[in-house]
Amino acid sequence: MSRNLSEYNVQSKKITCLLTLYIAATSIVTGVSNAEQLPPLTHKLTVIDGGGQAPKLELHNLDEDIINIKDLKGKVVVVNFWATWCPPCRREMGSLERLYQSTKHKGIEILAVNIGEDIDTVFSFMGSVDPSPSFHMLFDPEGSSMEDWKVRGLPTTYIIDTNGKIAYRAVGGREFDHPDILNIVLNLTK
Amino acid sequence: MKEIIATLIITMTLPCFAESKQINRINSITGASTWEISTNGVYFSLTQILPEQLQAFYVNRGFTLKQIEPYSSSCVYMTVLRNDSAPDAIHFVSNEWSVLSAGNTHRLKSVDEWIRRWENIGIKKSAIVAFRWAQFPPEQVYQPGGDWNQGMLSIGLPPNSQFDLIARWDIKGKAYESKLVGVQCAK
Repeated sequence: MSRNLSEYNVQSKKITCLLTLYIAATSIVTGVSNAEQLPPLTHKLTVIDGGGQAPKLELHNLDEDIINIKDLKGKVVVVNFWATWCPPCRREMGSLERLYQSTKHKGIEILAVNIGEDIDTVFSFMGSVDPSPSFHMLFDPEGSSMEDWKVRGLPTTYIIDTNGKIAYRAVGGREFDHPDILNIVLNLTK
Repeated sequence: MKEIIATLIITMTLPCFAESKQINRINSITGASTWEISTNGVYFSLTQILPEQLQAFYVNRGFTLKQIEPYSSSCVYMTVLRNDSAPDAIHFVSNEWSVLSAGNTHRLKSVDEWIRRWENIGIKKSAIVAFRWAQFPPEQVYQPGGDWNQGMLSIGLPPNSQFDLIARWDIKGKAYESKLVGVQCAK
């Protein structure tokens, strides 16, 4: 009996230790408790002169419906590549939702493409974002869309015009609800 | 005249290295040390990640402790490079950066080399995808005005080593570099 208790205590300590380490690692990697060291998010987008047609993008969403970017032609589409463990991706997610809330009446769509994670992980993260995303969360478990879209680092965001062409790009986190970005997106609808 | 032309040619081909002050600081919450510098409008920083923190992060994404050990003990930093106000887009290949330690210079082990290692020992695909995209990009282009990335960078040194790191990039073919001095690997 005393041996069982001792084994239980050792096991319990191991679990506590791993849990503590995981929380610490998540804090470092996600930058949750690292706020004083995080670089500021900017609001500048790069104009893509003569941007070609947006590459293919056909993935399932949280409801397991297939979303195809081709079906959104005629709308301005913001395509954001991200993951929950990517610090700037987490930081910009709330601003993407505020952008969506401010522009969806103009027919703007946001497709947030998660790389390599499952629905449970993403769903759990969404609950921690304020405001919680209501736009399409798409899932790319093997990251195969990254090559088509020439993404080299997360987050990367593209803005697609109503003709289905790439108009703007942002590498790294942005404040998507900044008036400068809001105006760029709204101007593309005209 | 020949001397002037020769001097001009040498000056134009040398990497541009504007004087700037390196800042070292410690996060009051996490205790992690950061080394940072801004050179020619480009911000560059390294922040320590403890081996145990790396193990916990990757074990949660499908690696075993034994599998991730070579990486977690290789002196890994959360790395940020950001084009704040360079005169144009910057382009870099991190394999061209140099680590100077104990009188020796070496290049960084590439992300592809790590991935080949994981594939050879049968790590599952989802874990490799997480590993790949958590790394600092091996190659990237940043436009001025705030393009940047934040990712993990393995220096390839044992814990507690000290080193200098030279980051290199080019703007339309002209070479630039930035050097962080006296960086300490986590114990």
